[in-house]
Amino acid sequence: MSETPFALSELPWSPLALAADIEAGTSAGTVWNGAEIVIWRDSRGSLHAWEDRCPHRGMKLSFGFVRGDRLACLYHGWEFGDDATCRYIPAHPELAVPPTIRVARYKAAEALGMVWVAHPDAAEPSPEDSHAVFGLRSLQIDRSAPEIADLICRVGLPGCGGLNMPERLGPLIRWRQGDLGLIAGLQPMTDASCTLHLGMESDLPGTERAAMISATVALRTLAESSRSEGLS
Amino acid sequence: MTNARLWNHDLNDDCYRVRLMAALAGVALDIRPVDLFPGGEHQSPEYRALNPLARLPLLHAEGMILRQTEAMLLYLAGLGPRGPLFLPEKAPERALMQDWLFFAARDLGAASQARTVAMFGASGDGAALAMSARRGLRMLEDHMTGQRHMGLNFVTGAQPSVADVALFPAFALCRDFNLDHDAFPALRRWARQIRQLEGFISMPGIPDYH
Ligand code: FES
Repeated sequence: MSETPFALSELPWSPLALAADIEAGTSAGTVWNGAEIVIWRDSRGSLHAWEDRCPHRGMKLSFGFVRGDRLACLYHGWEFGDDATCRYIPAHPELAVPPTIRVARYKAAEALGMVWVAHPDAAEPSPEDSHAVFGLRSLQIDRSAPEIADLICRVGLPGCGGLNMPERLGPLIRWRQGDLGLIAGLQPMTDASCTLHLGMESDLPGTERAAMISATVALRTLAESSRSEGLS
Repeated sequence: MTNARLWNHDLNDDCYRVRLMAALAGVALDIRPVDLFPGGEHQSPEYRALNPLARLPLLHAEGMILRQTEAMLLYLAGLGPRGPLFLPEKAPERALMQDWLFFAARDLGAASQARTVAMFGASGDGAALAMSARRGLRMLEDHMTGQRHMGLNFVTGAQPSVADVALFPAFALCRDFNLDHDAFPALRRWARQIRQLEGFISMPGIPDYH
């Protein structure tokens, strides 16, 4: 098992969602190392990741909704275009909105069935989309990302067969259980919580995928119940 | 015309369940507003004479009085032209619907209470109720994740049932007690499916997206 040389919270790119969970025309909020981020996909399917905060009065933009190629704030309806500048203020429809009104942007990319986000000044390229990944689910767990990484490298998904060859590559863990190749992207949220974006490297029939959901619940239960024992 | 009369407050989540079920099933309700907040009209002797539980909603129809939300939902689904869609015929699906109905009432009741504490200053341990609501919504998220993998959009199967109507407000309104929708991708998707049903109506706290 190869050990990651850096702390998970310091990696430039992090997975923040399963790509299939951000459907065209929808938005979702999340937290990455304490920063609140809104991820949304416009009606043409392009991904965007911004600070989850409206420049007007600070409302969470993830509470808003997508209108074509804009994200609209729920509170007073300000609309932001794909470059994150404000394009329209409903209370002043005649106003040419100054381009200085804008939301802070992150970099966003799609690879390995996941949505990846980096700080705007990150120099590193986004992760390579090296092979197909079939999304299983995103699972929020009340434990830190490093603790969950250690747990997965020890047990994989409970009840899914013997664990083989766990391998850590930055925020990713790849391993095999039985015939199945599994992959998990770890999103550090706070010091005490993370989200695990789980996928498979080959597709399974729906009933078998559904049966694996109980294994993911068992993993969360195991992780959250062993708080006092020390997992590493 | 049935003349079902609902004693209602627009911000009460259980009243919304009943209005939503009626709208989805295609039943017109005769609405009788009750000044629950801030007026406390549900505590008045007149209202208590109708409902000694001093609680909304209350439904009066065909000479009977219903005081339990779930009974009202089942009754209204049986009444409306679009109602049969919400009442599965096969025994296993019907049992599942009832199981999730009781889950909505009993286990997710904490969501309703947490919201009442947060929004209307009712007494109660808001933090403990919110934690309990989160546990319930996680169970629903786990369930809907499995359903989605099997190509089923709703709680009991491919069609919506009364259980979806009973459960939907617990998720849709959980931001009112500061529980975000972030950790529930399957429920976000499910909520979008429910919003698209013919006759869907919203309430304050559940934004209309247009
Ligand atoms: S807070 Fe976003 S438009 Fe006012």
